[in-house]
Amino acid sequence: MPDIDGKVFEILKKEYEKPVMSDQAVIEMKRRIEQGKKEKRMMSNKQGWAIAAAALLAILILLPNISGSVAQAMESIPVLGGFFKVVTFRDYQYEDERNIADIAMPEITIEAGENNAITGVGKKTADDINAEIRDITNKWVEKFKANLEGEGYQSIKIDSEVIATTDNYFTIKLTCFYAAGSGYEENHFFTIDLNTGEKVELADLFKEGSNYKRIISENIKEQMRARMAADDSIKYWIDNEEYPEWNFEEITDDTSFYINENGEIVICFNEGEVAPAYMGIVEFTIPHDAVADILK
Amino acid sequence: MKLFTPSGGLIYGSILEEVKSFHRMKKQDGKEAIVEKTILNKYNSYFRMAMSFVHNEADAADIVQEGAYKAIKNSGSLHYVEYVETWVFRIMMNEIYRRLKSREIRSIDDEDFTDLQVVDNLENIDLMIALESMSDKDKAVIQLKYFEGFKLDEIAYILGENLNTVKSRLYRGLKKLRCELEDVEIKGG
Repeated sequence: MPDIDGKVFEILKKEYEKPVMSDQAVIEMKRRIEQGKKEKRMMSNKQGWAIAAAALLAILILLPNISGSVAQAMESIPVLGGFFKVVTFRDYQYEDERNIADIAMPEITIEAGENNAITGVGKKTADDINAEIRDITNKWVEKFKANLEGEGYQSIKIDSEVIATTDNYFTIKLTCFYAAGSGYEENHFFTIDLNTGEKVELADLFKEGSNYKRIISENIKEQMRARMAADDSIKYWIDNEEYPEWNFEEITDDTSFYINENGEIVICFNEGEVAPAYMGIVEFTIPHDAVADILK
Repeated sequence: MKLFTPSGGLIYGSILEEVKSFHRMKKQDGKEAIVEKTILNKYNSYFRMAMSFVHNEADAADIVQEGAYKAIKNSGSLHYVEYVETWVFRIMMNEIYRRLKSREIRSIDDEDFTDLQVVDNLENIDLMIALESMSDKDKAVIQLKYFEGFKLDEIAYILGENLNTVKSRLYRGLKKLRCELEDVEIKGG
C-alpha cells in the first residue's frame, strides 16, 4: 500500500479551499454578529454598567483604606449576623452538543450560636427559604431535562449571590437564566432580619395599617415616567392607552425586593412584568424620603 | 429600626463585589471582541468546512451566519480565550451537523457530488470520492487536521469526542485514502 505523501493532501487541499463566501453572505454574517451582540447585551443586567461605574468611582476614593489582607478576608464566606452562613451545596452540571446546564444552588445553614431563641427562629427561616430555593431550582432543571431530547439549543444557569447589605438585613439573590433561542432571566430575593432571624416580607418594614403598596407604587410610576422621558429607548407599561390592561398599577405581596447597602428598599420586577421583555430585569430604588413617614 | 445605618465593613465588601463584577463585565466584552475577530479572520474556513458537507453555497452561508450569531451571543461562556479558535469551530461543526440531520429527515438527494465536477483529473476525482465516502466525522477529522492544521486534541474538542476516538477516525480515514491511491496506481500501472 503506497504511503500518502504531502502531494496528495496538496491536491485535496487545493480542491477543498476553492469555495469562498460571497460578499453578500459576508455582509449578512456581519449583520447577524451585530444582532448577537445586541441580544447578548439585553440578556445582561441593564444597570450593570451604571453600578460598575459607580463602584469604580467609590473604589478610587476608598482604595487606600483597603489593604490586601482585608480584601482577601472579604472573599471568604462571612458568618452573617453571628449565625447564618450561605453555602453552595448542590451543583448540577450537564453538557452535550446542544444543551448546557450549570446549576449552583445556595443553602442557608446555621452556626451553633449563643443566642438560642434567635437560632431557633433562624433555623426555621433557613429551612423555609432552602425549601423554596429547592423548588424553584427543581422546576428549572425539570424544564431543562424535558427539553433535552428536542432539536434546538438550550442552556440554563442558576447562580446566587449574597447581598449582605446592612447590620440588620441580608438578602440572597437567586438568578435563574434560561436560553433557548432567546434568553430569559428571573431573579428571586430572600431577605432575612439578622436581629430576629425571621424572613422579611415587605409589609414587615412598615407601620401597621400604612398604605405602603400605594406609596411605593406611586414612586415607581414617577420614576418610570422620568426614565422614559429621559431616554427614548426605555419603555415601561405605564400610561399606555392602547393596552391599558398591561399598565403597572400597584405592587403586590409577591413583588420582589431587597435592601441595598444604603438601607434603601429596592423593588425588582422580572422580565415582562412591568416592561417589554427586552428591558430585562427592572429595578427601582425607593428613596428614603418617599417612605420615611411610614417605616417602622 | 436601624434601616438606614449601613455598616462600613460591609460597604467595602459590597464595593469589592461590584468591582469584581465590573472586571467580569470588562472581560466579557473582551471575549466578545476576540470571538468577533476570530470569526472575521476565519469565516472562509468555516464556509469551506460547511461546503464539504452540504455542497450548496446558500446552505453553507446560512450555517456560517447562524454559527457566527450564536458564537457572539454566547461569547460570555467562552472560558479560556486561548481556545477561541477551537471554540468557534465547535459551534460551526454543531451547526453543520444540525443542518445535515434536518436534511436527512427531508430527503436524501443526489446533489452531493455536484461540486466534484470541477475536479480536473481522474486521480483527483477518486481521491475526492474517497474523502466523500467517509463518515461525516471521519471526514471532518481529516479535513481539520490536514486542511485546517488543528492538532488531534483540538479536533477532539471541536468534535466533542475523546482523543482515542479521533485517532481511530484519523487512521480509518487515512487507510481509505491509501486504498484509493493503490487502486489508482494499479489502474494506472
